[in-house]
Amino acid sequence: MRRTMLSSLAIALAALSGCGGGGTPTLPPDTIVIGKLADIENWNPYLADSAFAEDVLTLLYPTLAIEQPDYTDHPPSFEPWLASSWETSEDGLSLTFHIDPRACWSDGVPVTAEDVLYTWKVQHDPAVGWPGVEDKANITGIEAPDDHTIVFRFARRDPYAMMDVNDSPIVPAHAWRTIPFEDWERTDWTAHALSAGPFVLERHVPQQEIDLVRNEAYWIPGRPAVSNVVWRIVPDQNALLTQLLGHRLDFLEAVPPREAGRVEADPALRLIVFPDRAYAYIGWNLRRPLFADRNVRTALTLAIDRDAILRSARAGYGRPGVGPVLSTMWAFDRSLEPLPYDPERARKLLAAAGWRDTDGDGVLDRDGVPFAFDLMTNAGNDTRRDIVVLVQADLARIGIEVRPRLLEWGVMTGKLEAGEFDAVVGAWRESTRIDLGPVWHSARPGEPTYNWVGYANPEVDRLIEQVEALSDFGRQLPLLHEIQRLIVADQPYTFLYESDRVAALSRRVRGADVNAASPYFNLDRWSLAGTGE
Amino acid sequence: MSRLILRRVLVAVPVLWLVVTATFLAVHAAPGSVEDLVADPSLSPAARLAIREHWRLDRPLGEQYVRWLGAVAAGDLGVSFLYHQPVATVLGRALGPTALLAGTALLLDLLLGLAVAVVSVRRPHGVADRLLGGLSLLLWGMPPFWLALMAVLVFSLKLGWLPPSHMASVGAAALPPAARAVDLLRHLILPAGVLALAGFAATARYLRAALLDVAASRHLLAARARGVPPRRLFWVHTLRPALLPVATLLGLAVPALVSGALVVEVVFSWPGMGRVMWTAATARDIPVVLATTLLAAGAVLAGTLLADLLYAALDPRVRESV
Repeated sequence: MRRTMLSSLAIALAALSGCGGGGTPTLPPDTIVIGKLADIENWNPYLADSAFAEDVLTLLYPTLAIEQPDYTDHPPSFEPWLASSWETSEDGLSLTFHIDPRACWSDGVPVTAEDVLYTWKVQHDPAVGWPGVEDKANITGIEAPDDHTIVFRFARRDPYAMMDVNDSPIVPAHAWRTIPFEDWERTDWTAHALSAGPFVLERHVPQQEIDLVRNEAYWIPGRPAVSNVVWRIVPDQNALLTQLLGHRLDFLEAVPPREAGRVEADPALRLIVFPDRAYAYIGWNLRRPLFADRNVRTALTLAIDRDAILRSARAGYGRPGVGPVLSTMWAFDRSLEPLPYDPERARKLLAAAGWRDTDGDGVLDRDGVPFAFDLMTNAGNDTRRDIVVLVQADLARIGIEVRPRLLEWGVMTGKLEAGEFDAVVGAWRESTRIDLGPVWHSARPGEPTYNWVGYANPEVDRLIEQVEALSDFGRQLPLLHEIQRLIVADQPYTFLYESDRVAALSRRVRGADVNAASPYFNLDRWSLAGTGE
Repeated sequence: MSRLILRRVLVAVPVLWLVVTATFLAVHAAPGSVEDLVADPSLSPAARLAIREHWRLDRPLGEQYVRWLGAVAAGDLGVSFLYHQPVATVLGRALGPTALLAGTALLLDLLLGLAVAVVSVRRPHGVADRLLGGLSLLLWGMPPFWLALMAVLVFSLKLGWLPPSHMASVGAAALPPAARAVDLLRHLILPAGVLALAGFAATARYLRAALLDVAASRHLLAARARGVPPRRLFWVHTLRPALLPVATLLGLAVPALVSGALVVEVVFSWPGMGRVMWTAATARDIPVVLATTLLAAGAVLAGTLLADLLYAALDPRVRESV
């Protein structure tokens, strides 16, 4: 708390002092400088796990196609990249890609079907241990009829086949084949970095800086528009924001929402707001007798002022949560509305369930048991801590005692997996693939799951299995709607809010399309004003 | 003297073994694991189990321990779970920046402490003494991150004299070596200065007390009676015995040369060991946690040995007893 207050004060002072006013202009004319909290772990896309690594490494090791951020009205579409075209067979059991004959690596060697075959081997080798291999389970085989054609075969018709195939960067067979998979974890991958994308790696100073420069061999004419992109690693959120306000950064992909006003007030910066694919929730442990009754869970949701939480936690950047599918996704059931804030109705529901304050201590009780529980979240996340405090106050008003429990991340995850908690404030980041199974299908005992709250509705289980067996989105949609209605009626979670992403971009940067697919979605088309680039 | 060193090195082996064994048990007993980092619905629970298998975390603890200890004895610290790179590589690239930052800070700390103590004892309880005493205690009491943020605010944002973070400017790699060295020095001033300012008070207070003690001692009175000139009286007869407690402080500061200063490293984006340790601990990157513990424990042992050797060098009585 003390730390936060002092740091906020420092930022406030920095803003007041008109930051950068005394300093010299520090942004180089031909380089886009991006601020980032954490560094890339590894320069091999199959050894790095973070989203940031994926975003950057895709600029070097492209995918066959580019998934578009157009998932609001229909499942995402794809645009060509390494593959200039593709077609699905009539039975839907194979997908053929035609590799762009212009595509080549930065050393001049053409990108061929051989690279795709090699990538396939990389993904499946146990010595590499790539966790994403699982998404390839439906792919039974891959073959290359010629140098520029590659055919994927599937076990069954799956509407996500294109995503399954495409969701991984292609790596250079000719350059990497000589390194045995067993040695991969002891290899310095910066020394083997090549690129078939718009940029090549110039330099990586760990925990300091990533320098990418224009790939002179890039095969799409006129791109990239800018010659250098630098990521400066600044491990502290406050320092990062101070540097942005001091005009030492061109782009910051995640501005703390409550600081958005400062960015807006700066004439050199532009605030960019777009819906993120993430929602915050309170998960009620349904194994606890306290939360076994769905009327009680509904009452809890009604008693929590989620608009106030959104205002406080995200400065209003977002929208109230509704259900397990984000309201910005094509599969969302638009007939659903967020439950209102209605403490009166909450009281009535609780009274009907037998919860009354019989001993006059201000806390509801039933059969001598007070309505009191632990609300857990991970320590160090100020937003979640604030949510816990607001929920505590809201529920105290209807006679429910909340005991905040802030735990270290690893400790919390351990408790979630063991089911040893009452309620938890958490958040899920959603992929563009609608997959409700891991979180909402009832888990068989002993089997790994993300259904930590122990939700088990046989009808939901049946519908999820049915959706998984269906081969087209059109037939999945009504079932997905039905699942959402059932889950919302059951309220195993109180869906708090869906967040917006708040980013800041220097006004000297032109042509940027920052969206939820990737902050660097069209980095190859960013340009700098006044440099003639 | 060489017997002392030999004895200490022999004792160090079991001590290090005890420390790393305790750490090994503690990190494995701690809740949470490396695969929790990727708690994400798009990665299936089965894939998370596969991560455990890949790192052999599914094997019995005894087997993991023997395998790890054997490798360490052979000089192999293993592979980092987080970076998928050899632990030695991960630590190696952080050690240099840490030693540079902590070493510079230590040097500044000693110089500042010495200067303040010397000025203070000229007139004990005089104006300068009181002012310097108050000021150094004020700095000592300030949280280093606050001092760091203020330094950034004033010297880089407001005045624009020094860079606010990192070891080099954007594009510095293209500069000639001399300009690059100047660039590095400019980046070093604020973090090293903050660390020194936050720490010199202890040096100054210890040294001031020791100087006053010595000043009141009989050997000094005798020296003065022998007609030793004032300059020699101070620098040799007073300062040398007064440096004994500083030798202890110096020995205790050695671990900082390899373990880093997390808060200052974070604020100034300095790529040091503090951040490596912190990231490893939060990510349950067990091989890195174990290696950094081993390194830190080794530094503590080396530091105390160094303090003893300095004592011996400064004090003939100690020298004769070892």
